[in-house]
This record gives sequence, structure tokens and C-alpha cells, in this order.
Amino acid sequence: MKIEGLIFANPELIKAIEQDLTLTQVANVATLTGLVGRSLAMPDAHQGYGFAIGGVAAADMEKGIVSAGGVGFDINCGVRLLRSSLRLNEVKPKIDPLLNQMFRDIPCGTGKKGVVGALGYEELDRVLERGAHWAVEKGYGSSDDLKHIEETGRIPNADPSRVSKRAKERGKDQLGTLGSGNHFAEIQYVSDVFDSETAQAFGLFVDQIVVLIHTGSRGLGHQVCTDYLEVMQEAMKKYGIQIVDRQLACVPIQSPEGQSYLKAMASAANFAFANRQMITHWTREAFARVLGNGDLQVVYDVCHNIAKEETHRVGGTSRKVLVHRKGATRAFPKNRPEIPADYMNVGQPVLIPGSMGTCSYVLVGTERAMEETFGSSCHGAGRAKSRHAAKKDITAEELLEDLRHKGIQVRGASKSGLTEENPDAYKDVNLVVEVVHNAGIAKKVAKLVPIGVIKG
Amino acid sequence: MDEGYRILEHPADVGIEAFGHSVEEAFEYAALGLMSLIVEPASVDPSEQRFVSLNGTDLENLLVRWLSEIIYLYDGEDFLLSDVSVKHLAQGGLEATLTGEKVNENKHKLRMDIKAITYHQLKVDETQDGVLLRVFLDI
Repeated sequence: MKIEGLIFANPELIKAIEQDLTLTQVANVATLTGLVGRSLAMPDAHQGYGFAIGGVAAADMEKGIVSAGGVGFDINCGVRLLRSSLRLNEVKPKIDPLLNQMFRDIPCGTGKKGVVGALGYEELDRVLERGAHWAVEKGYGSSDDLKHIEETGRIPNADPSRVSKRAKERGKDQLGTLGSGNHFAEIQYVSDVFDSETAQAFGLFVDQIVVLIHTGSRGLGHQVCTDYLEVMQEAMKKYGIQIVDRQLACVPIQSPEGQSYLKAMASAANFAFANRQMITHWTREAFARVLGNGDLQVVYDVCHNIAKEETHRVGGTSRKVLVHRKGATRAFPKNRPEIPADYMNVGQPVLIPGSMGTCSYVLVGTERAMEETFGSSCHGAGRAKSRHAAKKDITAEELLEDLRHKGIQVRGASKSGLTEENPDAYKDVNLVVEVVHNAGIAKKVAKLVPIGVIKG
Repeated sequence: MDEGYRILEHPADVGIEAFGHSVEEAFEYAALGLMSLIVEPASVDPSEQRFVSLNGTDLENLLVRWLSEIIYLYDGEDFLLSDVSVKHLAQGGLEATLTGEKVNENKHKLRMDIKAITYHQLKVDETQDGVLLRVFLDI
């Protein structure tokens, strides 16, 4: 190890973390070239590929490396929170027709194509360059939405020519689809507010109906990562880079391969921003049609899998670094230039989805996160059981009945997909958030409880 | 171990273990194992043929490229595999003949989308009895 590792946890969570290869993976990351600070793991960390899920590592922009595995296959998998002006009692009686409408309008599930049909390559390139801006220009939402997205929904250095034809083939008819696995759209209400001043700045109040959308860059992003793992493995030889796990393949940030990856990664990230923007639009339409009120404002949209060039203080000096967040959320405090103007006095919203049918959280970034974690925090509950084990625990019918009993309606594309996402397969998001809050690397603002779920 | 494949567990994802009496046979079973995660195998008819030619820097790399190809053919070109015949080339690459058909949502019961093949705990074990492969997938 060239740098120290640091894991945020409590006695219960560390027990879970110790059961798989998370600690080894945090140590393996610490052997990479040109990293600064520490190799970090958030309390929701679990075993991943090369990097642990929940891992954060920052590389010096001049001397450090970039790793495609440090971002992961689902580039810019992330979450977006929408707030309505409606209250729980106004929506609850109409939750069934509302979910039915959303389930019809938002393509989701295995192998599902987007309703926009296959895009031509030229149009797809514009999506990759312009991200959520492309979607707004095409009539999906308004320019106001862009103010409340990380990077305004468009990472500027995207270059679609660095994205392979194969990645484009996988992506071109998947734009505007939720996907499968752990991706979802949930209708929730604000059950608790912990910090009223910040909640007010985010436009959140108790009993308010909100929508949380969780999806990423689909097959396009997966293929970009697959492609660049190959490129990096090959190029490492000429840079004399040795690694302890092939999934950690990496190249110098300033090398042609490193720059090429970052431009392809930005393109895939923009695809994901456009994806969430389109799903937002259809959610608004469904609300308007069923409830007569489609006024859903974007609270924020964050990346969970990304590498970002940022300036941080390391050992008392200000340095430019590339922060890899693999299943982690940026958590910047107030007065950082990267955050929206209307949140400048409170800090950036940090959105933490829980497992299906449990609860989610809105937190706010802190100065402490800048000192400890390169302005990063956790990203969810973190998986505790394999999908197979989760499926064995409960049938789809039992799970649906259980959730209905808790007041949660579910529309799922597949029964097997539902049981794999059985909430018992995840760690307790409440514990994860308590650790983050107590460590001060993000502070609790509000708790969100679902009343309706759409699953891929 | 008998020739064939079995599905493995991983806290976040799934894996495939495939055993064959030769590299070719093991690679064939690995591809069929992967396809069994994507779709109910019995529902896919051999109505179309595809040819694939690949290089790899070593057997591990070749295995990842091979299975990544199967994922691409499904996710990028809607092609489902019913059977496959692999020929391992002396210089390290492979040539394969794939049979199968295009996805038809009314006919095929799709099971899951697979994001990618990983190098995580990847294993290629060549013994006297045959070749054992192990690979984990991100789903």
C-alpha cells in the first residue's frame, strides 16, 4: 500500500464489511500510482470489482492514474429527486392509477427499448455531447431543471468520437429507459425533516410528495467501461504500470489513453443525465394526467459512479485531483462554486436511495467531507446478500403482500427482478446514514418514505 | 467435475463456472451458461448463424473478450444464442460459429440484462482432466 485506507462504519456495519473482500479491495486501490490522501470506503461499502462499491480515491492530476474500474460499468449511475407541491393525502388515494400511468409511460425491465426509437448516430452524438441539455432542447423538461443537476447535466469535455460503435449500438435504442436490476422510480413522501433551514432551501416539507429516480447510462456506459478496460490493460505495459488485480487496470491521467477514457466517460455520463431528464418528463406527464398537477421541480441530480477533476486541500496545499467515486456521492458544502446558486448558503443536496420499499434520505454536503473524503459521502444501503440468496428468501407474491401491508404499491417488470431486490438483501440504510451523519461527512436533512415503486 | 456449467453466487452479482474436456468445450459451456442467465435457453431456436473471430493476450483475456462478445451480440444486436462451436487457434485467438435468433419479446422469456464481464476472481485452470473456467458478471 502506498497510502492509508480509511473505512467509515460502526460496529455492526464493519462486521458486514469484513465478511467479503471490501477491505482487501480498499487496500488494493491504495497500491495504485499517484493517489493522494487515503483510499476510502463509505459505510455502505461492499465487495465490487477491483474497487469496492462505496470506494473513493483521488489521483494527482499530473502524476496520478485514471482507472475505468474506479468508475465502474454503469457510468453515472445516479439519482434524481423531484419535489411536488402535493401532499400525501392528495396522492395516496390515486396511487394505483398514478403508478399504472408511470409504468406505461416509462420503459423499464430487461431488454426494454426506449419509446423514442433508435436514434441515428448523429443524434446520439449530440446526446453524448450535450446530456440533459439535449433532452431539454428536444422538449423534455425546461432549462430551469438544468440548474439543479450536477455539472448542469452536461460534463463539458465529452467527445463522442472516443466512444466505440459497439457502445453506441448498445445505447442507441436504450435512451429513455429505466433498465433493470436495482434501478427504480419511487413515489415517496417526506416523513421527517431534521434540518428545517436546509430543507426549506431545498424546497422540502413534511408530508410533501417527491419522486426519486435511480438509473444510469445503460448498455452504452457498460460497453465504454468494457472497451477501456481492454485499452488500459494493453497500454499499462508501455507505462510500466503493475497492478494487483486486473480489474484495477489504469493509465496515467495525462496519457492519450487516459484523456480518451475521460472523454468517453463524460459522453456516457451525459447519456445518463439525458436519460434521467427524459424519465423526469414522463413522470411529470403522468402526474399531470392522473392528478391534474405535473408541477415537479428538480431538487437535485447526483452521479454515483464517476471520476471528476476537482480542487481539494491535501496536506495543507490546494491540489488538482481526479476523484474516483465508485458508488459514492459528491457532498460539497456551501460556497463551493460547483453547486447551484440557490443552495450556495446551505450546501449540495446528497441523495441516498434506500433499498426498495424501505426509506431514502436527503443529506447536505459539509466542510468536514472536504477535509476527510474529498467531498464525498455514501450512496445507498449497500447490498448484503447475493441476488440468488435474496430470491430464495421470499416469493414475489409474499414480497408484494408484505410491501402492500406497509402501504407501498409496486409495479415490476419481472417477479424475479422484484425478489432479487428484496429489502432484506440490503444493509439498513438508516445505519449507513447515521454513520455518515455522525462522522460529519454529510448531514441529515430529510427522510423519505415510499408509497409507490416502479421496478425494472 | 462433469462437463457443463453452473451459476455461482457473489454478494453483488453472479458468476459462471464452466468445465470442459478442452479449452474449446469450456468456452462453449461458459457462453451457454451466460446465455442461460439472459434467457430461458429452450425458448431460443437455431434459425440464424453468426461467425466470431477474436484475439486475446492470454486465456483469461480471451475469455473476457469472448463473453463480452456474447453480451454485445445480445444487447447491441438483439441476438440470442442457442448453441455454439468454438475453435481455439494456435496463436491464442478463437473462431466460433454461433446459432440462435433475434429477440422476440412475445416468444422469449428474458431473464436479466448483464452489464459486463469482469476480471474479478477470474480463473482459467488447465488440468489433466480438462479446463475449468470461473468468471463473475456485473448485473
